[in-house]
Amino acid sequence: MNCPTKRNEDAEILLDYCAQTLSPLQTAEFELHLKQCADCSRLVEAQQEVWGALEAWTPPPVSINFDARLYARITQEQAAPAWRQWLSRIFQPALPYPFWKSAIPLTAACALLTVTLYVRTPDAATVPQPQLHADKVDIEQVEQALEDFDILTPPAQAPAGSM
Amino acid sequence: MPLNPAQPSANPGVKKDMEAVAALDRDAELMLRVREGDDTSFALLLERHRGPVVHFLYRMVQNPSVSEELAQEVFLRVYRSRATYEPTAKFTTWLFRIATHLALNWVRDGRKEKGQESLDEQVVDGVDRQVRDRQPTIEQTMLHEVKMTEVRRAIDALPAKQRAAVLMHKYEELEYAQIARALSCSESAVKSLLFRAYESLRSRLAHLAG
Repeated sequence: MNCPTKRNEDAEILLDYCAQTLSPLQTAEFELHLKQCADCSRLVEAQQEVWGALEAWTPPPVSINFDARLYARITQEQAAPAWRQWLSRIFQPALPYPFWKSAIPLTAACALLTVTLYVRTPDAATVPQPQLHADKVDIEQVEQALEDFDILTPPAQAPAGSM
Repeated sequence: MPLNPAQPSANPGVKKDMEAVAALDRDAELMLRVREGDDTSFALLLERHRGPVVHFLYRMVQNPSVSEELAQEVFLRVYRSRATYEPTAKFTTWLFRIATHLALNWVRDGRKEKGQESLDEQVVDGVDRQVRDRQPTIEQTMLHEVKMTEVRRAIDALPAKQRAAVLMHKYEELEYAQIARALSCSESAVKSLLFRAYESLRSRLAHLAG
């Protein structure tokens, strides 16, 4: 058997032994281990001391009028207007409402809306880019192009009989 | 003082639920009857669990009047949520989950300082009454009281979650899985909480040995 003082995962057996919740077989096995392990014996002894000290702590008895006070509160609550009972149920639930549960459908709805908008809105890349403005055109480049155009153009024919 | 007389359950849904919880526990069955409007079952539940809940809360907050006030709130919430009750776990797990939630909130809100009686004061404990019956000597009574003050201090010094885990494990004898549900954590986390808590208690109460 693994020593509970060496491995935290096995510490449960120590607590269960002191709480007397181990099966007879487990108890016998653990007691055999206790005979061989001084660390565990010390720990069990200390734990049993704690157990005994806690055992001696008895709380005061419950007030005699506990039930009467509770029923008075229940009756008072039932006599309250319906909206107040409803508010009590909403704001004072038996257990706190796990808000993350309501966050799941909300997040899903937001994600769906985002995807829908993304699909329906034209992509920026597919939108034809507007033509460049003239003021952004390089003047020198235009002049060069015109000169090149002149060179390529054949010279005009001289009119006949002019020589 | 039941609010409504017991009524046999004719609702097929309830019958189905009752079959489902038959293996779970009698308390869940009683709670299903409360859901159907049978307030006698609520009185039975109150009778069975009043003591454990008040005592658990007393050990958590260490103040008799506050513990009763919180216990009233626990049972009020149980009654209030009867219509939506679903027997998904043992009734005691649900009950102690509510009690733990209220106690931890009370501790977290810092109301402890306002409502706490001094631990040095003579707290009206059941212990006092018990020792008186056995006619102990003055020395024995004083020794016992000193020991109890040490125990109360050691428990009080534990972090609230560890304290709740120890109290549910030691006094209410809840299983690890039940404590885990009550504290909304895993079973391994509960074992770790308990081990650390008992380690602290062993070192704090070591001087009481012998």
